[in-house]
Order: sequence, then C-alpha cells, then structure tokens
Amino acid sequence: MLCCTRTLALASLRSAHIPVLDFLAPSIILYSQKSRFHSTPSPIEPPANPHAEAIQDEKPPIHHLNKTQSDFLDSALRVNQAGELAAVLIYTAQTPPLIRSHPHLRPLMKHMYDQEAGHFKTFNELIAKHRVRPTAMYPIWHAAATVLGWGTAVMGREAAMACTEAVETEIGGHYNEQIRVLLDWAERCENRGEDLGEHIKTLIKELRRIRDEELEHLDYAVEHDAKEARPYELLTNVIRGGCRTAIWISERV
Amino acid sequence: MAPVRLSNSVLGSFRAASRRSALWRRACLYHSYEYNQAPPFPPAESAILSAALAHVPTHGFTSGALTQGARDAGYLDVSTSLLPRGVFDLIYYHLVTQRLALKDSVQFLAEGEKGKSLSIEAKVRSLTLARLCANEPIIHRWQEAIAIMAQPTYAPDSIAELARLADEIWFLAGDQSVDSSWYTKRASLSAIYSATEVFMTQDTSKGFIETGKFLDARLEDVMKIGGFFGAMGDWLDYTGHSAVNVLRSKGVRI
Repeated sequence: MLCCTRTLALASLRSAHIPVLDFLAPSIILYSQKSRFHSTPSPIEPPANPHAEAIQDEKPPIHHLNKTQSDFLDSALRVNQAGELAAVLIYTAQTPPLIRSHPHLRPLMKHMYDQEAGHFKTFNELIAKHRVRPTAMYPIWHAAATVLGWGTAVMGREAAMACTEAVETEIGGHYNEQIRVLLDWAERCENRGEDLGEHIKTLIKELRRIRDEELEHLDYAVEHDAKEARPYELLTNVIRGGCRTAIWISERV
Repeated sequence: MAPVRLSNSVLGSFRAASRRSALWRRACLYHSYEYNQAPPFPPAESAILSAALAHVPTHGFTSGALTQGARDAGYLDVSTSLLPRGVFDLIYYHLVTQRLALKDSVQFLAEGEKGKSLSIEAKVRSLTLARLCANEPIIHRWQEAIAIMAQPTYAPDSIAELARLADEIWFLAGDQSVDSSWYTKRASLSAIYSATEVFMTQDTSKGFIETGKFLDARLEDVMKIGGFFGAMGDWLDYTGHSAVNVLRSKGVRI
C-alpha cells in the first residue's frame, strides 16, 4: 500500500536552516517559546553542554514568532497575493483597449505587467511555502479587477493612468505599513539579542523592492497624464476606497 | 508520594489548559522552517492522554480509559476530571498526534531518484490510506468517537481538525495551488476522508481492502467532477475571449 523508501528530502528541509542547534541543543529550541505559559515546570532541562553555550555566544537564537506575529504574516502574505493578482489582471484587461488607441504605450504596459507578474509569482511561492491560506475572495477579486481594468481603459488613456495612480498610491502605503511593522520586530529582536531569522529578513528586502517598483509605476502613471482624467477626484477616490475595502476584507477572509 | 506531589502542578497545568485551548486551535497556519514547532500538548496532558489511548481498545473512548491512563502515568484518578472537554480531549489528542505523525510515517521518493516519482494524486491516496491505517488499532471503537465528535459542543473543533488534516495531506503531497482550488481541494478531500473513515468502521475485509477500493472510487469521482468543471471553465473562457475578439475585429471599441 505505501510505496516509500527513506528519503532525505523532508529531513534536509528541516535541518538545513538550523543545522547546528538542531542536534546540539534541540531542547533550547523547543522550550524557549514565549507563548508557552503553563505552570507545570518543564521536565527537560537545557543541557549543561559547553558546546551549546559556545555556539549560542557566536549566533543569537532564532526568534520564535508569537501568535500575533504569525497572524500578521499570514494576513500580510494573503493580502499581498490578492493585491498582486488584482494588479496583474488590471494590466491584462487595460492593455488591449489602450494599445489600440495608443500603440506607443505598449512597451510601458509590458514593462509594468512583467514587474507585477514577478511580484505575483513571489507571493504565490511564499504562500505555498509557508502554508498560508489564500484569500477566499479570489474569484471575486479576479472578476472585479478585470472589470476595473477594462472599464478604465475604455474610458480613455487618462482614466486608465488615473486608475493605476490610485491603486499604486494605496498599495505603496500598504507595503510601507507592512515594512514598518517588520522593521519594528527586527528592532525589538535586536534589543533582546535574538535573530529575526533569514526568512523575515529576506521578506523585508523583497517588500522594499516591490514597494519601490509599485511607486515607480505610480510615477509613470502621473507622467502619462493621470491627473488629466475627468472626473479625476471621483474616479481616484472611488478606486482608492475600493482598494482599502479590498485590503481590509482580504486580511480577514 | 509521587502522585500527590505531582497533583498540584497538574492542577495548575489543567487550569491553564482551558485558557490555552484557544492557542491549540490556532486558526493561522503560517509555518516557519527556522525553528521546530512547539509540541501541541503540554507534558502532563500528553502523558495522561497517551497512556489513556493504550486503554481505548479495551475500555473504548470513555472516562474509564482516561482514569486508567491517569493511573499509568502516575497521576491521581481525579486528575482526569480537570480535562476541559473530558473524553473529547482523548479523541482530539488522537486526531492531532496522528495528523502530525503523517510527515514522518510516509516518505516519498525524491524527484529525480531512480524510478518514477508519484503524481500528486497518488501521493494524496497514499497519505490518506496511511492516516486511515493509524485508526486500525481502535477502529472497533471509532463509531463512538464519531458520535462524540458530532455533538454540537465539539463539532466545530472536530471539523477544524478535519480541515487541518486535509491541508496537511495536500501539503505533504506537494500541492502548490494558491488560488480558489486551494479551497476546493481541501473541501473535497475532507469529505472523502470522513466518508472513508465511516466506511472503515464497518469494513470487515482482510487488511481493509474494501476501504482502499472505496477510497479509490471516491477519488475517481472527484477527478471526474473536477475534470468536467475544468473543461466547462475552459470552454466558457475560450468562448468569451473569442466573442470579445470577434467584436473588436469588427471595430467595436471594447
């Protein structure tokens, strides 16, 4: 019934990240979690092993995420994936009507689309790797983003650029907020003498890069007469309100 | 006397347990690879419940099994009345420990090693069968367990644990989907698993061969339905795009 031979695939995944601590001082990793507050004294003492002391002096211990932090990462990755899905679909829907009337915009639209597709791929991989639940509103956002992209493109070039400007403004602020929270964690960990972990450090770098690219799109949109759209205020406010609502919903659902 | 001395610390941990049960049922699944996840149960409860599970084949899922388990682990009989959910805690312990044991109990050939590696569906089948096998020692008592799990007080926790099991199986099988199929896959696997589990409780064939066949039939049904909806989706997609493109080629500004 079960076809298996012992493989290193699963074991190597687990041990690759903490190769030394894993076998030298496993109990330190298991029982140093802050979230455990039961009063029964833990029956396993940390080993009085000089090696463990020495290793700990060289490398600070990895910070164990508490529930608030895990929840934050969970909802952050979920929202970011939803946002990039929407971005990809908006560009996909905007491009044909826009290119027909303004063929010179083709390279710009392609460049922005490629960058968004890269962001989408990044978050898809992170979600699959960290077993985060994707948003249940996926098909609804799929439809809404397509309609938004197509609708603004049919309204005209300025409206399409205004849509991009509105979405990127919201997204830029949203990523900034996330980076701020993660940097706050990094600072607290440093004060406590813990290591935040490679994954989160890489995540901060990635989020910064992605935020910079989104703001670059914002600049392109403004450069291409986003502010000339009529009715500018109504369009931008409706789209920004919609983005904020979508972000709020995706964080939870 | 060891049992009396331990009772104070046990009382403390059991009081904390009812506050902590919310932590055990964490909704968030964010999984970190940089440190080991904490064990799901504190040491005292773990000792009592694992000892109690050994008595389930003889006593069933009853407070008798819990009492025997407390005695074997060196605690007072009365310690078990402090488990927040009584016998359901024993069932829950079995569910959680068997789910977490899946990743160690089933290993697949790594990609690229000699021989063909399995498809994801085949891996799902192996993992589901492995989990069903874990019920074998207590299968004659499992109908009582299902009855207890179905009580309105415990049904939400049982369903959540079933969802977690489905997620675990798909993850270990290597599923990388991150769109709405994430939900449909887990929902269908949860339904198949619980149906097969119920079937297994009345299966008397040797080596539970009939259960294996039942599982294969359900998985095939899901493939057929999935295939049908996938094909329909593709057709609608294609027809829609074609209609829009024809209109565009006629000069309609859409």
